[in-house]
Amino acid sequence: MTRVLRTTTVGSFAKPDYLQKARTRFSSGRIGEGELDRLTRQATKEVVEMQGALGLDLFVHGEMERGDMVGYFGERLPGMRPGELVRSYGNRYYHKPVIAGEVRWDRPITVDLWRYAQSLTDKPMKGMLTGPYTIVEWSFDEHYGSRREAVLAMAHAIHEEAAALAKAGAKYIQVDEPAIHTRPEADFDLAVEAMACVVQGVDAEFHTHICYGDVAKIYPGMLRLPVKQIHLAFKNADFELMKLLEADPWDPRKELGLGVIDVHDHAIESQAEVEAGIRRALHLLPPERVWVEPDCGLKTRTPEEVRAKLAVMIAARDAVRRELGA
Amino acid sequence: MQATVVGSYPRVSDSPEGQRLRRAIARWERQEISREGLRAVQVDVLREVVREQAAAGLDLVTDGQVTWYDPLSHFAAKLDGFEVGALERYFDTNTYYRQPKAVGPVRWRVPMTVDDFKAAAAAARTPVKAVLTGPYTLAALSARGPSDDLVMALAEALGREVEALAAAGATDIQIDEPAFVLAKEFPKLYGHIAGLLLRRKGRARTTIFVAFGGVGPFLDDLLMLPFDVIGLDLAQGASTIAALRTAEVDRGIAFGLVDARNTRLEDSKAVAKTVLSFADRVPLDRSFLCPSNGLEFLPRVRAREKLEVVVTAASLVKEGMP
Repeated sequence: MTRVLRTTTVGSFAKPDYLQKARTRFSSGRIGEGELDRLTRQATKEVVEMQGALGLDLFVHGEMERGDMVGYFGERLPGMRPGELVRSYGNRYYHKPVIAGEVRWDRPITVDLWRYAQSLTDKPMKGMLTGPYTIVEWSFDEHYGSRREAVLAMAHAIHEEAAALAKAGAKYIQVDEPAIHTRPEADFDLAVEAMACVVQGVDAEFHTHICYGDVAKIYPGMLRLPVKQIHLAFKNADFELMKLLEADPWDPRKELGLGVIDVHDHAIESQAEVEAGIRRALHLLPPERVWVEPDCGLKTRTPEEVRAKLAVMIAARDAVRRELGA
Repeated sequence: MQATVVGSYPRVSDSPEGQRLRRAIARWERQEISREGLRAVQVDVLREVVREQAAAGLDLVTDGQVTWYDPLSHFAAKLDGFEVGALERYFDTNTYYRQPKAVGPVRWRVPMTVDDFKAAAAAARTPVKAVLTGPYTLAALSARGPSDDLVMALAEALGREVEALAAAGATDIQIDEPAFVLAKEFPKLYGHIAGLLLRRKGRARTTIFVAFGGVGPFLDDLLMLPFDVIGLDLAQGASTIAALRTAEVDRGIAFGLVDARNTRLEDSKAVAKTVLSFADRVPLDRSFLCPSNGLEFLPRVRAREKLEVVVTAASLVKEGMP
């Protein structure tokens, strides 16, 4: 792929109705794991096909198998116990897992579905992981009692998963850390140390996604994260974050994931406003180091909205590429 | 020594029935039910939450804040002079609030908490504590921060809400000021602010509650304020305990000793022992035992279990009081 203004998405896609229903039926014991898995793969295939039709550069598998980015790992890592519902904001809830014992990794969690999704396309498929700081921060810790101990134990487990993805052939792995700015003064060094532990010796290009909260407090410190691409949600606050990059230059060795689509707004962006957002980034960075993406995972939107929003994103990217003669 | 809560209570639980409010909001957003239809479900859940607190044995309950989107926009959206904006992290929690922005003169327009207070009072066998987010916190977590003018205008506006609550029969009113934990120094004007807030409180007993951290350096300032009870987060703000051991305390303390942000259950005896260690410094007969902050950060089942820890510990304190 040309490296000028590459496109990808942040990870999750809207689950189709039939999968939502199947997941509900599965949790009440009305269908078995085999049937759920078949429908999960069907939905994954549709997500891959949608990305192909839209013309994205780096694909995701859509996270059709995940209810929640933390709960999914919480249900599968030894030492953790699935949690009950707590509210995140508004009408959004998640099952908040419990760290009940020593956290370990005993087998690949995400590799099978990644391998399946990759088998459906020649485009590269991102491995999708939740970062150790975020998993710990969004869990109840009944075991360690020290955030440092819990986060580093989690980092070792996620490192094993990253290594398994790379071994299976993943060239790109995204480690989401949306909670990384929860305690910027107290904990940012710990989060960086944890990320270093995750990527250590793993042969893949690492990306991270940081969203909402007080991003200003960890900029430019976030440039210390040992990843190739850092993705930020720009559109949600009308590109306010661009002021940070204007004040303190971006690291020339790093790529910027530019969130240009608001995932919390039903309204479909206009192509002109997405183009304007891309051009703002191009004042600061060469197009080879800018990735055009939505602000966050797309699971909050309907499949129709996802398709429409991504189509606008690609059209805007294409228009700016043409201007650049790329 | 009475058992109470700080404010919020989980509005859903894991059972399908326990998620009726969640479903109702989703249906309302899709315009499948009316505002009145949604309100009926909200009030139903509010009553259930009130009864659950009373059944656990609390002496003083709240409406659980089950109708609040968050502690900021619930007020900002109903006051004149604010716009409500994008999501921001609420302290160091994994919850988010819609950030208010003052765009014009801030004024009280309509009651913001009175209907829920009345619904709770009608459902409760115990007194109900009305809770408001305080003027400093509303200003500090808004887009432009806590300027003196904004805090003052909010104090005037929230003073009208206090008046409306008192007129509706509220005997206990709590002002939440968690943003004190973010302040470098105690806001000097706050004595005056508190006066504005409380001037039409009638006979209501008043509490100021500071959660999400310690207030050791400000404890003396808090103890100068004209509130009947000073509420302290002594879990995340465990550092305040040392300050409390040397402070001159002439009023009730709400001891937030039961961690409302971790599912690990405390030992009631240990909690009671900590409270009793203050028997010679703090008027325990005017004090409360409570969670460290609102219980909505916990799953419903665990919130209920935490209430039992609070209630059991409070009765152990009563037994052990000199």
